[in-house]
Amino acid sequence: MPLSQKEKTMDKEKTKILVIDDDPDFLDAVTSILETSQYDVETASDPKAGKKRIFSYKPDLILLDIMMDSLFDGFSLCNDIKSSKEFKDVPIIFVSAVKKITGSRFQFKGEEQGMIGPDDYMDKPVQPDELISRIEKLLAP
Amino acid sequence: MEPKKPIILVIDDEESIRDSCFQIIVKDGYQAETAQNGTEGLEKIRNVHPDMVLVDLKMPGKSGYEVLEELRTINPHIIPVVITGYGTVDSAVEAMKRGAFDFIQKPFTPEELRKIIRRSLERRKLIQEAETLRLEKKILEENFITMVSHQLRSPLVAVQQYFEVILGGMAGQVEAKQEHMLIRAGERVKALLNLINDWLDMARMNSGEIADNLHPLSIKKLLIKLIDFFRPMIQKENISLKMDLIQDDPLVLGDKEALEQVFSNLISNAIKYNRSKGTAAIFIKKEEKSVVIEVQDTGIGIAPEHLPFIFDQFYRVNRKEGQKTKGTGLGLSIAKKIVEAHKGTIRAKSKPGKGSTFTVTLPKAEAGKGANPLGQDQTSSD
Repeated sequence: MPLSQKEKTMDKEKTKILVIDDDPDFLDAVTSILETSQYDVETASDPKAGKKRIFSYKPDLILLDIMMDSLFDGFSLCNDIKSSKEFKDVPIIFVSAVKKITGSRFQFKGEEQGMIGPDDYMDKPVQPDELISRIEKLLAP
Repeated sequence: MEPKKPIILVIDDEESIRDSCFQIIVKDGYQAETAQNGTEGLEKIRNVHPDMVLVDLKMPGKSGYEVLEELRTINPHIIPVVITGYGTVDSAVEAMKRGAFDFIQKPFTPEELRKIIRRSLERRKLIQEAETLRLEKKILEENFITMVSHQLRSPLVAVQQYFEVILGGMAGQVEAKQEHMLIRAGERVKALLNLINDWLDMARMNSGEIADNLHPLSIKKLLIKLIDFFRPMIQKENISLKMDLIQDDPLVLGDKEALEQVFSNLISNAIKYNRSKGTAAIFIKKEEKSVVIEVQDTGIGIAPEHLPFIFDQFYRVNRKEGQKTKGTGLGLSIAKKIVEAHKGTIRAKSKPGKGSTFTVTLPKAEAGKGANPLGQDQTSSD
């Protein structure tokens, strides 16, 4: 079973996580994982809706799919978030169905194009324990 | 923003020619530049980047021919037109052989000059369009394979993700029998994903991507990284790993991810087909013009009648009853294609019951050659 959220603060407010992915099944599955660990979760299915939700929901952490409609979506949105004044310190984890070692590689490498990258990368499918532990590491004060 | 005006450069030692051309060019709405001699002309070419150059063949100092030759090396896409002397076309023909697009004979009328300028600029436009199309096609091809990869994988990965959630108990209690079946279903999905990976690799191989992507890299660093990646598997299978990686760090000219794939495959085989408590060993040896990497195992080995065929697509050695053949049968054929695209060789030696040795030979990177445009090689860690 995944670790439940460590209570480092006396705050009763749940930590907010925004998941942006065009695969509704991934959103469904990951929401289960996160809610079981007492996180509050909101989702968005495309970069535009994602941006709107960031402003309204003000998440503490963002899970972002690298490739939605096109190769550029994930990297582009990440760069926008990291370049913004208000949200540049929100940790972002890229998730991807395209593996790096022993799988096909990316043709577009955001960082090589001068874009600001994420705080972490995870391959899909994500292991629940691994996901929670990486989130906790990024949110640790 | 206004589109840039085409720039036309006139190189001629005669002031009257320079002046009259200048007037005509500017009157027609282009940007005009002039130079008095070949050397000044070439300097201007480097600084101003003209679309078209009109150059007098007979000049003191650097001749028009020399300008043509040097222009070709600076930028072969600039359109050269030569201004030839009174009477003969021989020199014009000679100039065209050396890369001139067209010629104009003295004395010429403004209208003749205009015609030549129009023709040349049209040609320039065509060349630029062709180059843009060529680059777009290349990007599309590369991205096509990645897009197909993503589209084939996504549904399978979604299925796997659901399995993770269910097996993790986050969708209700799971009975033992359900758990067993879900685990088996997950394994079948994984096998299909591996097959897709392999097929897409074959597609990338065939699209000739590798030859474009060779850089000097440290094979030692690559192997160390891979071994780290395989450590959990090595420990799980109870294999001991020996590495003899030599002191220095020879560079090979290679495509990092493609080579990672080759050695991933060899190392993974060395673990998979090994005996319990067996050994896997990796050696790097330096030869005069190449680097040799050996991957050895103390596994079940390959019978001599199978050995010539193991690099063939889909070739799988039939095992004893009860042992499921692992893998897609494509791993070694992909490895061989990658190694050969690097102008290297891959060979296998084996003794059934004792073990196998796979030997990969890769050409050394010559100092300075094949470096990426930033001047950095890939020996720095990522």
